[in-house]
Amino acid sequence: MAATRGSSRRVFELFVSQIHWTLATKELRDYFAQFGTVRKCTLPFDKETGFHKGFCWIGFSSEEGLRNALQKESHILDGIKLQVQQQKRRSFRSQYTNEGETDMS
Amino acid sequence: VQEEPVLSVQNKQAQHFDWALNKLDSSVRRTGRITRTLLLRIFHDMCRTGKSALLLLRSCGSLLPEVPLCERTELAHMIWGKLQDLGAVYDASHYNALLKVYLQNEHKFSPTEFLSKMEEANVQPNRVTYQRLIAAYCNEGDIEGASKILGFMKMKELPITEAVFSSLVTGHARTGDMENAENIFSVMRDAGIEPGPDTYLALLNAYAEKGDINSVKQILEKIEKMEGYLMDRDLLQVIYSLAKAGYPQYVPDILSQMRYERGYIPDAMNLSLNLITQGLEDTAFQVFKSFPTLPSENHSETSMDYGNFFLQHCVHMDKPLSKLKQFCDELKEANMHSSPLQFTLYCALESKKAALAINLMKTMKEEGLPLRPHYSWPLLVGYQKEKNVQGTIGVLKAMHELGVEPDVETYTNYVLTNFDDIQTFRALLQENGCPFETEGLSVAALRHEAIYGTLENITELLYKDGRYCQTPPGPAEAVGYFLYNLIDSMSDSEVQAKEEHLRQYFHQLKKMNVVIPTNIYRGIRNLLAAYHVPELIKVCGYINTEVSALEEELEKLKAEKQPIGNVLKQLIVALCAEENMQKALEVKAKYEPDMVVGGYAALINLCCRHDNVEDAMNLKEEVFRKDSSVALDTNKYLALVKVLGKHGRLEDAINILKEIKEKDIPIKDTTVTSFFHILNAAAMRGEVETVNRLHESILTLGLAKPSTNLCTPLITVHLEKDDVPSALEATIDCYKKYGKMPRLHDILCRLIEQGNTELLQKAMDFVSQERGEMMMLYDIFFAFLNTGKYKEAKKIIETPGLRARPGSLQWFAEKCIATNQMETLENMVEMTQKLFECDRDEMYYYLLKLCKISNDWRKAEATWTKMQEENVIPRARTLRLLADTLKNNGQEVPFDVPEIWYEDHVESASVLENNPEKKVLMLCKKGSVQAVSRSIFCSNIFNIRTVVFIISPWCSTIYYRIRSIAETHIKGFTLNDAASSLLIITQVRRDYLKDAISTLKKVLESDMVPMSLAVIRLIQALAMKGDLESICTVEKMVENLATSIGLSRMLFVNNTVLAHIKKPATDLFLQYVDAGRVDDARFLLQVIIYQERNSSGQKIKTLLDLVPDFPDMKIVYSYLLKSLDNDVVSAKTLFEKMKSENIHTDEIFLKRLAVLLKNAGEPVPFTEPPESFHFYVNKLTQERQEISSHAE
Repeated sequence: MAATRGSSRRVFELFVSQIHWTLATKELRDYFAQFGTVRKCTLPFDKETGFHKGFCWIGFSSEEGLRNALQKESHILDGIKLQVQQQKRRSFRSQYTNEGETDMS
Repeated sequence: VQEEPVLSVQNKQAQHFDWALNKLDSSVRRTGRITRTLLLRIFHDMCRTGKSALLLLRSCGSLLPEVPLCERTELAHMIWGKLQDLGAVYDASHYNALLKVYLQNEHKFSPTEFLSKMEEANVQPNRVTYQRLIAAYCNEGDIEGASKILGFMKMKELPITEAVFSSLVTGHARTGDMENAENIFSVMRDAGIEPGPDTYLALLNAYAEKGDINSVKQILEKIEKMEGYLMDRDLLQVIYSLAKAGYPQYVPDILSQMRYERGYIPDAMNLSLNLITQGLEDTAFQVFKSFPTLPSENHSETSMDYGNFFLQHCVHMDKPLSKLKQFCDELKEANMHSSPLQFTLYCALESKKAALAINLMKTMKEEGLPLRPHYSWPLLVGYQKEKNVQGTIGVLKAMHELGVEPDVETYTNYVLTNFDDIQTFRALLQENGCPFETEGLSVAALRHEAIYGTLENITELLYKDGRYCQTPPGPAEAVGYFLYNLIDSMSDSEVQAKEEHLRQYFHQLKKMNVVIPTNIYRGIRNLLAAYHVPELIKVCGYINTEVSALEEELEKLKAEKQPIGNVLKQLIVALCAEENMQKALEVKAKYEPDMVVGGYAALINLCCRHDNVEDAMNLKEEVFRKDSSVALDTNKYLALVKVLGKHGRLEDAINILKEIKEKDIPIKDTTVTSFFHILNAAAMRGEVETVNRLHESILTLGLAKPSTNLCTPLITVHLEKDDVPSALEATIDCYKKYGKMPRLHDILCRLIEQGNTELLQKAMDFVSQERGEMMMLYDIFFAFLNTGKYKEAKKIIETPGLRARPGSLQWFAEKCIATNQMETLENMVEMTQKLFECDRDEMYYYLLKLCKISNDWRKAEATWTKMQEENVIPRARTLRLLADTLKNNGQEVPFDVPEIWYEDHVESASVLENNPEKKVLMLCKKGSVQAVSRSIFCSNIFNIRTVVFIISPWCSTIYYRIRSIAETHIKGFTLNDAASSLLIITQVRRDYLKDAISTLKKVLESDMVPMSLAVIRLIQALAMKGDLESICTVEKMVENLATSIGLSRMLFVNNTVLAHIKKPATDLFLQYVDAGRVDDARFLLQVIIYQERNSSGQKIKTLLDLVPDFPDMKIVYSYLLKSLDNDVVSAKTLFEKMKSENIHTDEIFLKRLAVLLKNAGEPVPFTEPPESFHFYVNKLTQERQEISSHAE
């Protein structure tokens, strides 16, 4: 009964970390666009410091984009290596279950 | 100057804690308990004994290389005073520590005054005190003063150590008397003390201060000959002396002598930092460059950056730009750092040094490095917090001068929030020579107004800013949507009150040539109609895209020789909306040179819709002749493929598919669905070649992945022609190529109907071989069912050994439900009665689902009876379904209907979580104009990006914003249960726990039911805060609801315990033991152990020492063993201890220990219990149950 997301909402997500502070959404979007159409690019900024937090999610509109990006051995942007991995599906329900475990009820 | 090794400080710290623990421990042993009061008293004692004071004082010297010398001493004095005020009593160790800090910080003070202060405080100076006072005199070159102290020492018969002689070397040297300094060595020898490294170091430093590098070298050589030994750390001291005395040129001579012992880098780093702090950054840089570089394994890929600490400290110490630039250049040249300027900028931004940051950016620009708008954010954030408008403007101005125009995010997040109204801001920008008409600002302003603005402002904003109507379609749509949202968010009375305003506003928009798309216009019109303002509807019509108005406009512009591209496009689009293909084509022909891509696209689409393949292709070629790089959007390409396929122009269709690939047109899930429809349409027309070729092209081009759905037309095309053998061939082929078996069921049904046993056998063999016999049996079972051959079906399903396959059964049931095949479904449900492992409730649920859809309450009731006959225990959802069907038909429900709340809400919440637009939609649904708003949101015609764009600033704070907007604009607006629960979760996440509690209160007061997740999160957060009181409050609040929303009592118990753990847990634990609540105590222990399970059992052992008389040690030990993980040594020790204490080891314990030992390859010194671990767990559980039932 886990919430089934409509297939049209599926986004093929990458989790990118070790992002240099000089890069922002635009640069990441532009870079990852070479692998496929980037539907979204979420780079959270810390509203306290004005710097981003060093990680972001890149959502491709097709699985191909995701695959292409993952196939590339290393991703270097502005001379600095990015850590790129596939975003594991975040299931609301499983998250919930885990929390249930930790409160040991 | 010697440094106190850090290690000893840590030791002291550890001892200190040991001492505190010992005190606690003995207290527990003596009285069996500790109280909060005792705990607090110990804490105060700790403060009073001043041990922590010593630690703090000691840290105020050379351990702070980044702090200027005088500030360090100030810090020491501050701590000294504060602790004294708190009642700390100082002894000689404190005074000595202070002296050390003075020496390390080169603090000038009067040793005699210091001594008299000690005297006043009645503290006796000791040998160390005198030694340090001598050092203080000697540092000033005051031999006389030093001699005076020496006199005291002699008088007290204190031994004179090497430290004193070393100080004297320094002392003589600083008076300029090197001869006497050297003489100290023989004096020492006479006194029977051999000069050691400290004395030599003193002499080296003395020559270094004189800049006498030759003597320094000679001494170094001499030491080497004597096989003496100076550490790198000592040599670094010499470097410090050289640099301080102004002889940096000799530093390389010393650096070349380094041995790079372990610990060189941290020592050298500290020296480097210290030198920077004292304004000797050039030497610091020399020292830094001497660091042995770590060998980088993959040099090409990851560039290791060295020198960050150096650059950072230089920034903190406000070194001038030119210096920073020089260091950066050198680092870059030496390949030590890949982006030193960027890093320096980062430091400047981080420490909010605006002027430096901006100058650095200028430098970067000169060097050709990119500058980006977000570089300004850290500075803007600072000014935003301080509400420093001038600062903000200053940064914007500087960025502008650097050629970096702030983007929408900059304005939205960091700038506009500082200003009450945008006009003031624009005026300020203008005053300061900043551009105030940029696109980023305009869009941000619109967004800002969308959130905070008033109608007045928006009107003015749109009025004064003509840009919105210049570059369609985006802004035009944005304005349209904006208007829609605006009006939608106003209440009836508000609209009526502001009617005049709105009217003027529409007139203004008209004057500005703003035109909004028809679909949005219709939405607005419906809204206005609902508000009973007919007059406004008329005015609003002015800004709609009416064909006639556009034609007029076009002619007018043409006559005035003004560009018509825009209006022409609008006209084409309007004509397309009216489906007037003829006229649209005529207009296009008439104004062809002015046609823009958008117009062509709309027209191509229109032609496709009207099956006009010729014109569609001509138009496409025409637009490509104008610009070959033009790409249409996905839907238009698909429309072309569809119409080409339909007209048999297969090659052209395939070419379009190729173009989709070449131009990298985004393929969405809907695109794949469209492919299916195109293929299916061809299949329905019976065009085998079209289906096959198109399918093949789609797959080989990689436009879609092979799926059952997409393969289906390959079979459908044969079935449509009633060519079942070809259909079977096709599906077998499909399986071989793509691993899919589409429409097998239909094929089997046809074969059964046709009585074609030969082919049926072939099909079954194939299925059996590829997917196994079980699947084959199910396939044939469903085929018999579907064709009404129930007897045969029954035989199949009764095949011995056949098990229920829930997925297959569900598929067939859903199929029956979808096609309203009641009889078939009933038969399936009946036949599967004896099927092994068949979920009967599930089966009846399907049946009831169909009953509900066909609204057949009699059948539903009969099903209910059958279920009772079969002794099926219905699940809640089944009962609800039945009750619904009965109620809908006015029938009485003969049972209690279970409350519905849980699944639906969690589900909706998770959907919301992932989908901000839906959140808005959901919240809007509560408002008065739900239908229209929904249609606008869902309509494909409407550009969803615009929606997202407009609402995105809301997303992060959506609950607050939407709620406040909705509450002020829509009468009687309240958040529903799920939204309120989300609000609670959000508040918890943001640590607004008080707010979360009050939201929960409101929810409950308004008789809504919160999601259990919201309550859980809240309770957990409160536990983390140790807020017992609030946990109690919340527990009381949800008392009546707890069971119905599935909140376990343990949630409160656990978290109460956790909250206690955040406070001292011992109190609660002992309270439990005292009160005889052993279970609770045991549980608490379990929780603690659970919490500490990662800390190697040490804490648990400590805990055990604290509670030696715990009533059930067996349990404690078993938990302890559990917590040890793979720590074999500890496990063995534990086992020995238990044996020595005669504690019975149960089977679980032995089993666990045996496994642990075996895993570690250790012998098992006892008979391992033979059964599995779970066996013993169950056994124990049973035993416990028996005991408790006996007890009752």
